[in-house]
Amino acid sequence: MPIPRREFLKTTALGTASLALTPSFNHLLAAPATAGTTERPHRFVFVRKSNGNLPKQFRLPSFSAAEQKMDEEKQAFEVDLAKHELPEWLRALDGHRENMTILHGISMSVSGGGHYSYSGCMGAYKAGRDVLGNVKRATVDFELAKLFPSPFGHVEVSLATPHGREHRTGIVSGYSAPAPKQRNYCYADPMTAHDELFKSVTNVDEVASDNALLDYLHEQESHRLRGLDGAERLKISGQVAALESIRDRNAKVAALGETIRRHLPEIDPVHRNGGRDALMPEKQAAFTDVIVGALAAGLTNVVTYTIDDLGTPITTLPENKTKTSIHAVGHGGDEQALAMRDAIRTHHVKQIHTMVTRLKAVPEGDGSMFDNTTIVYMPETGAGHHSPDTEAPMVVMSGRNSRLDLAGRYVRLPFHGTEGHFTLSNWYTTLLNAYGNPVEHYGDLDLTMQRNRLEQTGPIRRFLTRDARG
Amino acid sequence: MNDHLAGTPLLRTLAFVLLVSAPILGRAADDADVQRVLDTYCIACHGAAEQNGDVRLDTLSKLTGDARLDVLNAVHEVVRLGEMPPEEAEQPTAAERQLLDDWLGRVLRASGAAKLEDKLKKPEFGNYVDHEKLFSGEYAHLPGFTHDRRWLISEYIFDAKMQRILDVTTTGDFRGKRVQVVGGHTVRGLSLANPFLLPEKSGVRYYANEDLTGGHLSTMLSNAQKTSVYVTDTLVKDARKRHYLPVTREVLSLEDQHEATLATRRAFLEKNVATVCENLFGEENAALLPEFVATELKEKKEFTAEETKKDKRLPVPVAQGQLKKAGGWDVFQQVVLDPANAEKTDEEIIGLCERIWFYHGDFELDVQGRLALLQDYVSDFRVRIGEDKRAKREEYKPLEESEMEAVHAGLRKHRRKGDRYLQVVEKCLADWKAEFEQQRLDAGPPADELAARMIDELFERILERRPGPAEADEYLVLVRSYTEKLGRRKAVQKLIQTLLLTSEFAYRSEFGVGEPDEHGRRSLSPRDAAYAIAYALTDQSPDEQLLEAAESGRLATREDYRREVTRILERRDVYYRVDEALADRWRHGNTTNMPIRELRFFREFFGYPRTLKIFKDEKRFGGDRLGSATNRLVEEADRMVAHVLERDQDVFETLLTTEEFIVYHDGNTERMQARSDEIKRIYEYFKDEDWENFKMEDLTVKHADFLRTVDMRTVDPDKPDGRTRQGNMLQLFKKSMRSIVNRMDDGQEHPAPFDLYRGYGNDFLPGYNVGKFWNHDLDDWHYEPVQPAKVPNRKGMLTHPAWLVAHAQNTETDPVVRGKWIREKLLAGTIPDVPITVDAVVPEDHDATLRDRLASATENDYCWKCHQRMNPLGYAFEMYDDFGRHRTDESLEYAEHLVEEGPEQKGDHLVDTRDVFKTLPVDSTGRLDGTGDPSLDGDVADALDLAERLGRSRRVRQSILRHAFRYFLGRNERLSDSKTLIEAERAYVDSNGSFDAVVVSLLTSDSFIYRKAIEN
Repeated sequence: MPIPRREFLKTTALGTASLALTPSFNHLLAAPATAGTTERPHRFVFVRKSNGNLPKQFRLPSFSAAEQKMDEEKQAFEVDLAKHELPEWLRALDGHRENMTILHGISMSVSGGGHYSYSGCMGAYKAGRDVLGNVKRATVDFELAKLFPSPFGHVEVSLATPHGREHRTGIVSGYSAPAPKQRNYCYADPMTAHDELFKSVTNVDEVASDNALLDYLHEQESHRLRGLDGAERLKISGQVAALESIRDRNAKVAALGETIRRHLPEIDPVHRNGGRDALMPEKQAAFTDVIVGALAAGLTNVVTYTIDDLGTPITTLPENKTKTSIHAVGHGGDEQALAMRDAIRTHHVKQIHTMVTRLKAVPEGDGSMFDNTTIVYMPETGAGHHSPDTEAPMVVMSGRNSRLDLAGRYVRLPFHGTEGHFTLSNWYTTLLNAYGNPVEHYGDLDLTMQRNRLEQTGPIRRFLTRDARG
Repeated sequence: MNDHLAGTPLLRTLAFVLLVSAPILGRAADDADVQRVLDTYCIACHGAAEQNGDVRLDTLSKLTGDARLDVLNAVHEVVRLGEMPPEEAEQPTAAERQLLDDWLGRVLRASGAAKLEDKLKKPEFGNYVDHEKLFSGEYAHLPGFTHDRRWLISEYIFDAKMQRILDVTTTGDFRGKRVQVVGGHTVRGLSLANPFLLPEKSGVRYYANEDLTGGHLSTMLSNAQKTSVYVTDTLVKDARKRHYLPVTREVLSLEDQHEATLATRRAFLEKNVATVCENLFGEENAALLPEFVATELKEKKEFTAEETKKDKRLPVPVAQGQLKKAGGWDVFQQVVLDPANAEKTDEEIIGLCERIWFYHGDFELDVQGRLALLQDYVSDFRVRIGEDKRAKREEYKPLEESEMEAVHAGLRKHRRKGDRYLQVVEKCLADWKAEFEQQRLDAGPPADELAARMIDELFERILERRPGPAEADEYLVLVRSYTEKLGRRKAVQKLIQTLLLTSEFAYRSEFGVGEPDEHGRRSLSPRDAAYAIAYALTDQSPDEQLLEAAESGRLATREDYRREVTRILERRDVYYRVDEALADRWRHGNTTNMPIRELRFFREFFGYPRTLKIFKDEKRFGGDRLGSATNRLVEEADRMVAHVLERDQDVFETLLTTEEFIVYHDGNTERMQARSDEIKRIYEYFKDEDWENFKMEDLTVKHADFLRTVDMRTVDPDKPDGRTRQGNMLQLFKKSMRSIVNRMDDGQEHPAPFDLYRGYGNDFLPGYNVGKFWNHDLDDWHYEPVQPAKVPNRKGMLTHPAWLVAHAQNTETDPVVRGKWIREKLLAGTIPDVPITVDAVVPEDHDATLRDRLASATENDYCWKCHQRMNPLGYAFEMYDDFGRHRTDESLEYAEHLVEEGPEQKGDHLVDTRDVFKTLPVDSTGRLDGTGDPSLDGDVADALDLAERLGRSRRVRQSILRHAFRYFLGRNERLSDSKTLIEAERAYVDSNGSFDAVVVSLLTSDSFIYRKAIEN
């Protein structure tokens, strides 16, 4: 005999602890038939930064005169990182050079320069303003997350302070997009990220009430289903099925309880209540802890981390003696500004180093979790403060099982608008093709390439391993 | 025919298909007939010998379940839609086709795999209902109706609902006046994701076909959480919103009161804790303080005279702003204002501040920053404070007595030796917070009566109705359960979330009530009718009069419907945002005061907003700020449609054939005229002067009086130091004059009133480059201050650049897309999907026009079968390029044909940056067929000729009416809607082409009023 609804309501508040109402775009992340071609999930971390990356700061100090000349003239070439020294700011990753690619020559004109790129640099389109209508497609991180489903599907964290006006904490709107005209949410401070991602083991009461709400809705909608048939039944049954699937997801996360506890990061109390007094390096470190914990616990396989935007305060970086801002650094071309750029990236690289070493310490298969991880450290707007967008130096860290053949190298691809050049769209197509999405071309076309009638669709085939080429 | 197939795999296949279907079909007599039909008409091209289109019907048994069903579905579709056998082949009789259709339907339904019926409900299949039958009158006797239905809300209704729930008001600009607008998705401080987005395409976008899915729920989970927190933590606490959810406010009053008390105590103590402690602890106070440790600072920076000269030093007001930002100004100011410190040196003042901040427990890095600023600016700051008449010493004001007692008790309880003041304050606050929480727990959940009233209130706010008795009981239990676990605030949040997440929120409901008539139809319930009418015309819930009519029984008859629909159509006191993307601070309001869904019908029907999504190359456009120009183009297309609808005469014909357009005009004629006249006045005044050789004195002395009477950006004789990045005042004057002379030296009656030079942002109306779409070079523009006005080489919306760009590619025109649009939207024709075996690419040929390249790929037997329905219509628009610019020649944009490279923009907005290439003459001839009118069908000279004929076609009128039917009814028409469509056409003709009359006719039709239960 069914439980009377009143009784049902009274009892279900004590349901299983889980993710409960944590929002998610999992519905958009259903794995396509082509997914799951690898036994283990591959993980991606996109670290996006503002202010562009100045090409000369990515140059290797040990370049020969000829290499230096080619680099300055933006000619295509590549060298083996094992035989070279890294720039000072990148030295933290010295011990991981075999996993590193300094990738040069990809243009971002498809997403554009300017002060901010919003969702554009992840979706390979010009976002213009930060309005929903301008979100043209699911961003590449969401596309990758579809290939490797997980309880959260996709996690976005951010230290952006849009236009320097808004000190953000809690859950706020993000830059990635699960679908056209949709905006992701993101965690704006490490404590919130920690509390939300690991809620299933840290806040049992809240989760239980969320489950009660789901149960009630499920009961209510199922009640509505009675007596409905045909098309009208479909109108409601989708909702019932969705409620059931969220309950299933919660149950799966509940089953992960022990793993989650094992990887539960400890966050310093300074980050409580938005962490007003936390220093920027402390915030960065805490976010890194959360990201590594979430990946290791299997809560997500894709993370997008806006490590700064032009408004992010950097007055608490120890190197910042003049208490300058990222925006001011971007406009300054003097030695002081260049040094500050180096300092900012040094802090970023320190976090990437932590991610790499920590993931290398988590066993997986016959190796480590990092074997199945790719970290992309990229500028959001190209090669300068707000221009040019014709190049966008980035650093890629990829593990042993990467389906991209590019590790251990400094690669400079042909320059923008010339034969053989690759755009951000080609780069993302490469990532997607490599990991199981056969899309012919992801992202917008470059109008200069189009005007010059140059081929510009498809992946960067030289980066695809034989496996990935299929 | 097909003798060679006797006893072949086809029979075995059919035997297999029939065998698996036999228990369900039970129609063995049909089977042999079906086999004969297939055998006769299909197998020759889709059997062992030939597999046209890669489709083979004789090997179905080898396919697995889904693959087999896919083929059967595909066959079902081409059989039903008459697309197979091909025209030139032998055709089955109607009975044979019906036999095959029925059989395929039964087989597919038996497997639960029938897709055709659902597919035919989609907008793109609307035209498959026979046009002649719909308008012939032969079916006018069939009773019209719509099925009972739940209709998923649209993205616009979602926005409107959320704005209503959150009590949001937005303002916009309507013809130069600030007005309150509805619509748009702006909710300040809250970012909601809209899960009800409509497909982006031209035509009718909003249909009642969609179901609620997991996608909606997941997005709504996030929305519901954000909304509930926003309601309880922001709106309900807002003292200016007393009218908003008063009962909920009452439920949360204790919690709000506690929070307010905590906030007051915190604010008081953060400011006054030192004074309070000195008073409370007296002489002991000093001993309780921690030992002072000076802040470590870098060496004081001395500015050299050179640096000061070069302005390396921050201006004092900026430095003051930084000190404020670092949280140090208030204390510093009070220290300076204290008469006891008047004689103190700068260093002593800094020292005092440092100690205050240290004992207070301020964040060390903040203190460092403050001290660094004070080191450099303390004397300047002291001077500023001395000069600031508003700077006053703040008197210490204790809280009221009972509060002070609580504060004192807390401080006594928690203060330990060595604590900084803020540490003590935090301990006190944590203690008080816990104490309050306990008090609330002791108070228990809200009384049932109060909780019930709150549930009523939230139901009305969110679901726009009161709960039924059983529902009220259930929700009461739920609220109690939530409160016990989480406390009142979170319980209220959970309740709000529950209501937002119900399917009732997401569906509009349209059900018939009462006794069915002889056709089994029932009238819409009055409440559902009120919503159906409101949502047909606007995105908002019914207005008060409509609701009142529903509640008082005055929404029952056709006349009642007519009265309300007419009333709403005539309303001009509600302002609607047309497109959020076009309405922001850089642009104008993009606002209309006519019921928004009338305008939106044509907006979506023509599909010109897609222009905003097509990225174009600025170099090819000829100038920068293309985004701004494109926004203006679309907004002006909107206003052109609104203008035609406002006149409401011969609406369809006018939209298709008007020669008057709006180009760079915001609707405020007075303003546009005034600015144009002013520029002309400047020109007249200076044209005979040697202004190219002016010196600064010419501006500041000789012509100063005149210049004071006109607005020339940055040119002000009383501010001769004025400059921008583009130059100083004299340079900008000359730059402006060159621009003015350029726009007047072709005998222009009126100069275009755009900015005098290209500066940062816009001085006048943004989007001036919109002129380029219309072939107006900025330095050669004969401007019309009164608009709409005639534009040469244009006729109707299909020659409007917004439509042309929306139906073009990034770098080329698209005759196929344009032709398809006309065939489907204006001629009620059909075009099958591109066969999957076709790689639809226009071949490259550097020495041919696009038309010729397209012809080489499509004008063969196989492709032409479909392309003949599109290309000849689309070719007529080759007189415009992919930016919609009129042309007689087509540029061959390949490197080998480059004649002259265009200049860079470099900040000069009059420069045309286009490269010049060799050209070939454009051929814009085409052919119109399918109007059913021999006087219209035939060869056309160009797009103007085509537009003229389309405007005169009855078929076109009927096709637009069919789309209007779909738009307002949310579904495809059926033969039983024949009467509704005939009457709509009659209403249009009888009213001399009023679209209002069409809308009234549709919304008072049987198709709209009557509902039938779904036959399952």
